[in-house]
Amino acid sequence: MSAIPPSRESPLSRRALFKAAGLAGAAAVLPLAGCGSAPSSQNGVTTLRFMQNKPEVVAYFNRVIKDFEALNPDIRVIQDFNEGNFVPGLVRNDPPDVVTRGFAQATADFVRKGVFADLSDHPAAATIDPKVQDLVSSWGRYNGHETSALPFSLAAAGVIYNRDVFEAQGVAVPTTWDEFVAACEKFKAAGITPIYGTFKDSWTLGQGMFDYLAGGSLDVAGFFAKLTAKGAAISEDAKESFTSNFGPVLPKMLELAAFSQKGATSKNYADGNAAFAKGQAAMYLQGPWALSQLVAANKDVRLGSFPLPVTNNPADTKARVNVDMALSITRNTPNMAAARRFVSYLLDPSVVNAYNEKNAAFSPLKEAPAVENPQITGLAASVRAGRYYQGATTYFPPSVPLYNYIQSFVYGKNGEQFLSALDDEWRRVAERTAV
Amino acid sequence: MTTTSETAQAAPPAASTVPPKTPRRSVRAKGRIDPAYYWMVVPVLALFAFFITLPALVGVFFSLTNYAGYGDWKFIGLSNYVNIFKDPAILQSYIFTFVFALTTTVVVNIVALAIALGLNAKIKWRTGIRTVFFIPMVLSALVVSFVFNYLFSNTLPVLADRFGVTPLATSILANENYAWLAIVLVTVWQAAPGATIIYLAGLQSVPAEVYEAADLDGAGSFRQFRSLTLPLILGYLVINVILGFKGFLGTYEIIVGLTGGGPGMATQSVAMRIFSGFTGGDYSYQMANAVIYFLITLLISVIQLRLIQRRGVSL
Repeated sequence: MSAIPPSRESPLSRRALFKAAGLAGAAAVLPLAGCGSAPSSQNGVTTLRFMQNKPEVVAYFNRVIKDFEALNPDIRVIQDFNEGNFVPGLVRNDPPDVVTRGFAQATADFVRKGVFADLSDHPAAATIDPKVQDLVSSWGRYNGHETSALPFSLAAAGVIYNRDVFEAQGVAVPTTWDEFVAACEKFKAAGITPIYGTFKDSWTLGQGMFDYLAGGSLDVAGFFAKLTAKGAAISEDAKESFTSNFGPVLPKMLELAAFSQKGATSKNYADGNAAFAKGQAAMYLQGPWALSQLVAANKDVRLGSFPLPVTNNPADTKARVNVDMALSITRNTPNMAAARRFVSYLLDPSVVNAYNEKNAAFSPLKEAPAVENPQITGLAASVRAGRYYQGATTYFPPSVPLYNYIQSFVYGKNGEQFLSALDDEWRRVAERTAV
Repeated sequence: MTTTSETAQAAPPAASTVPPKTPRRSVRAKGRIDPAYYWMVVPVLALFAFFITLPALVGVFFSLTNYAGYGDWKFIGLSNYVNIFKDPAILQSYIFTFVFALTTTVVVNIVALAIALGLNAKIKWRTGIRTVFFIPMVLSALVVSFVFNYLFSNTLPVLADRFGVTPLATSILANENYAWLAIVLVTVWQAAPGATIIYLAGLQSVPAEVYEAADLDGAGSFRQFRSLTLPLILGYLVINVILGFKGFLGTYEIIVGLTGGGPGMATQSVAMRIFSGFTGGDYSYQMANAVIYFLITLLISVIQLRLIQRRGVSL
């Protein structure tokens, strides 16, 4: 048992050794606890942490930051593109100073909890198109009047189509649901997959067919406003419920799913990009974020986009938009002045318009130039006229595994079960967040 | 703890046991314990308390609030717990996890025992074959599951299509009813080597004489296995079952790599649901779930420890 006999010779030195080790350990822990609140400036240079939510444009923002630093030698900006660090940063009370986020339910939740600073008096706020700013404020404002985020990039999604395949089959861009179905039948008859399906990645079903069909057939924003107002008192039979409203959407989802290639259930987003870029299908239900991937896979592919027509009245056709990047400053940042200058720079027309033109998106500014990118010109008319909606999936709290339910429905085709599951989940979340 | 009085007497005085009646001043006799022991235990205890116990208690505390992980919160009593019992999605994840853990434990032990028996026999190239069988153990579960994901989604359907095996022509991972079997398969592939090592150790502890005696008595190899091998390595079986079951209850990364909890809700494990609370703004609700799951696994562990003690095995 007594492996070490008690040493009589030098108890002090050993004890001192242990003590020193203990102190060193404590010293190693202390800096961790200390970081976070102090303003981060050294030699008059303020360091800003900028978290942006799109890993595919890291290089682009590195150039933007370089230009900004050249003009503002007293500010240094560090880019962080790992959005997953944001919530841990909040938990540690050490969030980045400037944040871009895709604006949807999850970000709106941060707004409601007062995570972001008010930007309504920021000079750039007046240059934003109020229709686009509405997309942000429709999610609710902190204290009822604050502007917590300024849109930076508006992404419009519809059906991406292969222009070569369309021309070879003599198919024109459809403007009604019937024309759309006829086009699909024509491709099918010619042995071409009408729509490339990537059902393995369930989010592609959610942002694709579910959002497009829901957005085209019902007033999504109005539906969710009424549903939220009802709170936990919602039941399946209520006229505000999913069961009462989403019924007509479901058969069309199955119709679209049936136009996908065989084996779509085992293909993911990356497979889909590779296959569609090689011309293995005529259409692809994806947003503009897929365009650069498609071109990367095949630089000669000629692509276009159109909003999915869901009814037989062309005037009803709308595009799915989302505020793909919205700029916010965290409320407790010690570097507020520097952060506001960085936001001003990003929202300078030359910067924000260039970014959106380059990345197949729409500028949020009132005086934005017309888009010239042929990949998205098909959506420009809808966006300019304000005929758009935010996807139904973006209204769900992230704790509802919505994409899994959608995938379940597309595989199992049980619409009643799907909608009542959504009603249940919504009610349960409302119950536990209302208390 | 393994030293008996017999070895203590046989050992020379310089050995590491305390002779009961030596004139040397023993530590205990003086009534004070060498501080070195405290220096060994206390830092670990402090680290454990700080990094494991304290966060767990914080988690229990927040399970009684509506905290989202950040921002404002208030106490809501036990309503998170009440809501969990009304949530069929959570219930389904419990059913899936337990069915999965039971099935996997059974299959892993059958496979591992069979492999161990084979590797313990006098076969050619035994060392080389053993090495091959242990490779899965050193690979990361996440890597393994991504590789299998590719095999299931791309390779297997193509092969099945070519050879006309239509039931396999679509990926098993896309099938809500059978996706969990793919997870069991990959988990078994990954976990069997660990169990095999324990069984091999057990088999090598069985003296060869008992088999010689059994041979003389005319027992066949199956009879030898059933009446000799199995009872003699029962302790190792119990250890494997307990460690395996406990590990499979926390299954996470293989599911993430294979199905991500899908298709639909078919393969959501409890651990995945708990983790989703962190990113999903559902922190306190899933903390309550974690507390419930902790109590359940605690109960199972206590039952299993009782079983072990009854069998006289020590871990």
